[in-house]
Amino acid sequence: MARYILRRILLALPALFGLVLLTFVLTRVIPADPAATLAGDAATPAQLAEIRARYGLDRPLWEQAVTHMRQVLSGDLGSSIFSGRPVMEEIVFRLPATLELTFVALLLATGLGVPLGLLAALNHNGPIDHLARLISVGGLAIASFWLAIMLQLIFAMDLDVLPLRGRIDVALGAPPTVTGFFLVDSLLAGRLDLLVDTLRHLALPAVTLCLPGLASIARFTRSGVLETLQKDFVLYAQAAGYGRVRLAAIYVLRNAVTVTVAQIGLLFGALISGAVAVEAIFDWPGLGTYAVQAILSADYKALLAVTLVVGVVYAVVNVLVDVAQALIDPRVAEQVK
Amino acid sequence: MRLRAALLAALLFATPAAAQQRPLVWGDTLPATLDPHAVFDVPSQFILLNIYDGLYRYQGNPPQLIPWLAERHSVSEDGLTWEITLRDGVNFHDGSPMTAEDVVYSFRRLLAMNRAPAAAFTPVLKAENVSAPDARTVRFVLSTPYAPFLAAMPLVAIVNPRVLTANEKDSDRGAEWLAANSAGSGAYRMDSATYRPRTALDLVRFPEHFRGWADNPKPIDQVRSRPVMETSTRVLALLRGEIDATDSYLPTDQVERVERNARTRVAKDESMRVFILRMNNRKPPFDNKDARLCFAHAFNYPGFNEIILKGLVIRNPGPNPNNLWGNPEGMAPYSFDLAKAREHCDKARAAGAPLGREIEIHVQSELEQTVQAAQMFQADLRRVGVSLKIVPSTWPNITGSTGRPETTPDMWVHWVSAYFIDPENWIGQMYDSRFHGTWKASSWYQNQQVDALLAKARTSLDQSERARLYAEATKLVVADSPDIWVYNTVNLRGLTRRVQGYSFSPVGSGGELRTLSLAD
Repeated sequence: MARYILRRILLALPALFGLVLLTFVLTRVIPADPAATLAGDAATPAQLAEIRARYGLDRPLWEQAVTHMRQVLSGDLGSSIFSGRPVMEEIVFRLPATLELTFVALLLATGLGVPLGLLAALNHNGPIDHLARLISVGGLAIASFWLAIMLQLIFAMDLDVLPLRGRIDVALGAPPTVTGFFLVDSLLAGRLDLLVDTLRHLALPAVTLCLPGLASIARFTRSGVLETLQKDFVLYAQAAGYGRVRLAAIYVLRNAVTVTVAQIGLLFGALISGAVAVEAIFDWPGLGTYAVQAILSADYKALLAVTLVVGVVYAVVNVLVDVAQALIDPRVAEQVK
Repeated sequence: MRLRAALLAALLFATPAAAQQRPLVWGDTLPATLDPHAVFDVPSQFILLNIYDGLYRYQGNPPQLIPWLAERHSVSEDGLTWEITLRDGVNFHDGSPMTAEDVVYSFRRLLAMNRAPAAAFTPVLKAENVSAPDARTVRFVLSTPYAPFLAAMPLVAIVNPRVLTANEKDSDRGAEWLAANSAGSGAYRMDSATYRPRTALDLVRFPEHFRGWADNPKPIDQVRSRPVMETSTRVLALLRGEIDATDSYLPTDQVERVERNARTRVAKDESMRVFILRMNNRKPPFDNKDARLCFAHAFNYPGFNEIILKGLVIRNPGPNPNNLWGNPEGMAPYSFDLAKAREHCDKARAAGAPLGREIEIHVQSELEQTVQAAQMFQADLRRVGVSLKIVPSTWPNITGSTGRPETTPDMWVHWVSAYFIDPENWIGQMYDSRFHGTWKASSWYQNQQVDALLAKARTSLDQSERARLYAEATKLVVADSPDIWVYNTVNLRGLTRRVQGYSFSPVGSGGELRTLSLAD
């Protein structure tokens, strides 16, 4: 098992290396000139040249790439070319916001998607199955920005039961920062009002974000369960007189969810990229909005750092998923050997 | 079980306790950095006007340049030496008194950093030529006479050197620190502990501000700046009262909705911000004047201004905003006239202008209006046999390409805002060929007569002569039709009705908090 985990980690490293290099080249070959944005209006060509030289933007691309790589390897993600502040400082604030939202969405997606898929499969071609199909097709087909605005209009504007935007009420203010996760920090501070307010703020963006994930998890679980139900051991268990619930919840589900668990790793990436639109509409101060702002101001240092951090998070999650999969189904680790 | 039900009920129905008055929540965009010497854009003016003070400040509409930290100024005959006398009794937020040395430090820092707000000064002012002959006098010796010198003064925030040197790192003049902190003397102080870049900035009133608070008996003590990124969310947040003010560019199709709501209103103020479609005068077909005139007549000005923008803008015939001095009297704007356009296009084709090729127009995709203008133009140009291709882009992408004529797009769409109130900010920097290579001069227009007029207007200290020179240059530029000037902006800011005392000036777009109060 340890060898298996080590192997997964080692395999993630070249992928991350490729990611750093690729994003660097991509951000530097587009014509956006950070110097022009920095120098502002009526900057003279001389002033532009001076700024390019100061930030090393006049060096050959490969040289810039090597410098960048060296910095990244030494753990330095550089400074925003606008604020001059270390990019990491800002990411420290924004990563927990995105992760909090993504985790809650993931929790909703699996917490609802797996039972839904299971029920649909057990009720093959019955009314629940049809309902589940409706939810999964809808979940995949509905554009998240549309859903986001609809939820805002219904729950914030018309019914006035949930907040429209942000992470916490302006008048309350954020809990003292320990982890950056407001759910955790408000508990640590013993502030139940902040916890409730955070949950209220999480509701709409998390529901918006979870829907496509919920849809695909329900579908994967359903087909996994249906397939497992055809297996001989199920027939044997049925013949041996196991109850329907016990059979489904323990023997079938465990065999059926390996595919679903693998799906969760991929889903996490989709959730983080989906968070860009959701964060923008709900004013969620996470990495997604940060990346958009970085693009609009050609702050390529910030953009590179965001990509790398998201890449690392994604890699970590996928290693965890691989491990989880191996725990559920030991044959997975065996195959690798 | 009961606990779970209670929690659920709390989740769904609890509204946050709001016993005392909610602080003012400002929903306008925050700048990327709080360092007033590092950026100069519309969002950074909020910092400049509230946390900092300058020697001069624009107030009112039309904007008046009034002495702020300065008391008076004098200028030598040759227009080179400017002396500014500071007023007495100005304290920074840390309580230390402001002296002429602090002003010298601020200007030197600005020039050494050489970022956006320095651009107005670097061609004429060197750091060593700013000095303090005594504690209340600052002397500037320019390398060439520069008439807009005083007009550009409000660009410069006076910073507190004692705070900055204490936070210096690798002799960066406190740049890294100041990006997320403040060292000012302005009417509001920031709370650095709760600051989150572009997300949250909390301001607290500075009671000892040098202007005093006599003219505002009920000033606002607590202001929370909470930028809202998406336009639709911003409007909803205002309607719901989650924010008290939007940015000042409310989409025109949202105005009615905000005005219909009993809690909100829209402040409409004519600004100085010209919407413009540029043509690359170095690239065929735009090196041909008839081709440019054809385009100028093919833009549906009334359709765009009156129908798409619902008449909430003002037709602007030339590069300078209508409400600025230095415009020729009775200047007629180009009309939307497809017959005339066809005539000019035929002439241009006869002269060999390649109007058959696809013309590219670059738009700023995140700014809906630039896209709408291009789409409407595309349809009308098709009727005169010209095909226009719309290329989605962003501001840094476009400005990054305007350094050379070959890389500058055929056409692109943008605004020129009020950075300082002087024709130099518009016609001066847009059509004098000495600025070629900057985005402002990106139509690559060249006319020696215009260059000479603008150079003279830039150095003359005689206001009436300057007005005459700019008027003459404007006539020539408009006749050459290097670009398509469409409208002057009316700033539209959504406000909740509890916000009182809102005062607008084109520089700062009404973001000055000093005069505001909240109705109960």
